[in-house]
Amino acid sequence: MTKMNRRTLLKTGASLGSLAAAGSVIGTPLIAQSRSLKVGSYGGYFENSFKEFVYPEFTAATGITVESVTQPNSADWLVTMQQAVPAGSIPTDISLYGRDSMIKASRIGGLIAPLDISAIPKAENLDSYFVFEGADGPQGVGAMSWFSAMVVNPNEVDTPASWADFWDIEKFEASLGLSNVHSSGLLDITAATFFDGEETMMSNEGILAILDKIRELKPNVTLWWNAESQMEQGMKNGDVIGGQYYLDVANLMAADGFPIKATFPKEGNLQDYGSWCLTAGSEKSSEAAEFMNFSSDPATQALMSRKIGTAPLVDKAMTDLTDEEFNFVSGSPSIKPAYEAYLDNETFIKESWDKMLAES
Amino acid sequence: MTIADDIKMAPAAPKTPAKGVTPKAALYAVLSAVMAVFCIVPFILVIVISFGRKVDGAGWVWAFTFDNYQRFFVGILWPDEVTFLYLQQLGYSFYFAIIASVLAVLTALPFTLLLTRLKRRTQAIWLVFILASLSMSEVFIVMGWDILLSNNSGLPKLFQVTGLTQWLKDVGWFQILREMGLANPRNVKFKPSEFATILTMSYLVWPYAVILLYPALSRLDPSLSEAARTMGAGRWTITRTVTLPSIRLPLMGTTLLLFVFLLGSYVSISVFATPDKQTTAVAIYSNIRGSNLDAPFGSAQAVILLISASVCLYFGHLLNSKAEAR
Repeated sequence: MTKMNRRTLLKTGASLGSLAAAGSVIGTPLIAQSRSLKVGSYGGYFENSFKEFVYPEFTAATGITVESVTQPNSADWLVTMQQAVPAGSIPTDISLYGRDSMIKASRIGGLIAPLDISAIPKAENLDSYFVFEGADGPQGVGAMSWFSAMVVNPNEVDTPASWADFWDIEKFEASLGLSNVHSSGLLDITAATFFDGEETMMSNEGILAILDKIRELKPNVTLWWNAESQMEQGMKNGDVIGGQYYLDVANLMAADGFPIKATFPKEGNLQDYGSWCLTAGSEKSSEAAEFMNFSSDPATQALMSRKIGTAPLVDKAMTDLTDEEFNFVSGSPSIKPAYEAYLDNETFIKESWDKMLAES
Repeated sequence: MTIADDIKMAPAAPKTPAKGVTPKAALYAVLSAVMAVFCIVPFILVIVISFGRKVDGAGWVWAFTFDNYQRFFVGILWPDEVTFLYLQQLGYSFYFAIIASVLAVLTALPFTLLLTRLKRRTQAIWLVFILASLSMSEVFIVMGWDILLSNNSGLPKLFQVTGLTQWLKDVGWFQILREMGLANPRNVKFKPSEFATILTMSYLVWPYAVILLYPALSRLDPSLSEAARTMGAGRWTITRTVTLPSIRLPLMGTTLLLFVFLLGSYVSISVFATPDKQTTAVAIYSNIRGSNLDAPFGSAQAVILLISASVCLYFGHLLNSKAEAR
């Protein structure tokens, strides 16, 4: 048996120390030479498309290399950032956030840094709504938009003209797939279909009235999904024949021959968007500004629509997208999530939603 | 003379000379520190966070409030309105864990009994196979059952192609299945349902049940049941009065262990259980995750789940020692 004494311990420690020192010496010149940027995006097909089509274009245009970082989604990424940033480790220079997560990050404080918008002149192309003003100035520049759309299995049912058709027990008994997260859009869709839209979402009574309506829908829902992949499998396996799902993914699945059809009913589909935000403490603010500027270019917006399937944040007229290309990723009318209600009345909405789901 | 003087006398007594820190003591100290850092600190952190406060529309802040615990029992709107949602979830945590663990032990018991009567070599092969199946994660098992129970690739498809679905429709039983939530207008469906949830949960812990029961069952003295037989006892009487009592302790122990293990089950519940039968474990995650950022309430739920599990284990232990004393 080898005995560990103080001397061998010191020796091991010393050699480990020198190894680490050598490592840092080797590493330094590389970092100093080239400009680089760590950009986060949602993992999977989405991130891969960014790596394959968008980041190379950016590097070609600016000479800045991009290191891609996988985010699970924007909401759960907040949990990671909340732990990482105060601890002094910065996983990304730029992260991608949905609007509600971005506002939360801004309100929590110390997670996303203010931007120098004069260094991002092309942000002018976006509607001012997509440049988010936090407490300390602009804190997010719109990246892309996506729709959560009505989908049906065209082999089993006719395409509904209204979301109200989902309430029809003759057509959809135990056959729908909807998200079980309170903020995933069913409340907004129901408010737009049967009530006064966002206005109804602003009061507790309104929320309860909407939930009463959703309660009537429950016998038609077989899958209350938690992860996106459950809905994908459900549609592929025929366990569900309709529901709410991402427009771009639904169109891609349809293109692959699966029985799914995305459609815009007369009330419209839920539209949300993502923003690029600079991580607090990042030393790459000038590179980040160049990236956001590049992303706001109509050409980049069109590139993302073609290669990733996101809807552009600039006017269609500014891009060279054809009608067919545009309709693949976008449509009208659009239902905007009641962000304010979700943020200010969060706990009440969640508990009431959970209660409604938990009733047998 | 004071006590302090006595203490000073003590070192004068003949003793082995102190050699500073021995390797054994150092190892002990390091292991204790590792235990403290990786086990106890996170534990204390959960308890401390459970007294924190959620800020609507942002994250949470450190605080000292019992609101989260109050919310668990009566809901956020108390005293205007009362909800037992979280108690219901806790109830289902126990419901599923108890049924699935008992079912796993009940089915593993005869299997293991038969296993111990096989040849040594065959036993070894079975045990290796069962041990290997433990390497499958919950996600993997749930995914497998999800495919086996899904409409186009699983059991419902079998029902359809063999004409069983049509037959059920013809004799009118299909309507009953629809009312039970086990069919849609087109075909039978087995998920989400209590059936699928309990099936997967039992399946998940079944190998553990066999491995935990095996040592006790293989040590069973065959002469006991042979003696009973010579006295004219039938097979069932022997099982009831000889075999079962002699393995009562491992049987109880295994069931309790599986039960505790299943209390935290997440994937099976979130995929297979209907929304009205979700459990505390699932609720904890949904509170902590990014769309809510309500770690304090999640932690409070976790602490309550822990306390309830401990109470159960304590009563299990009490029951055991009572039975032992008899």
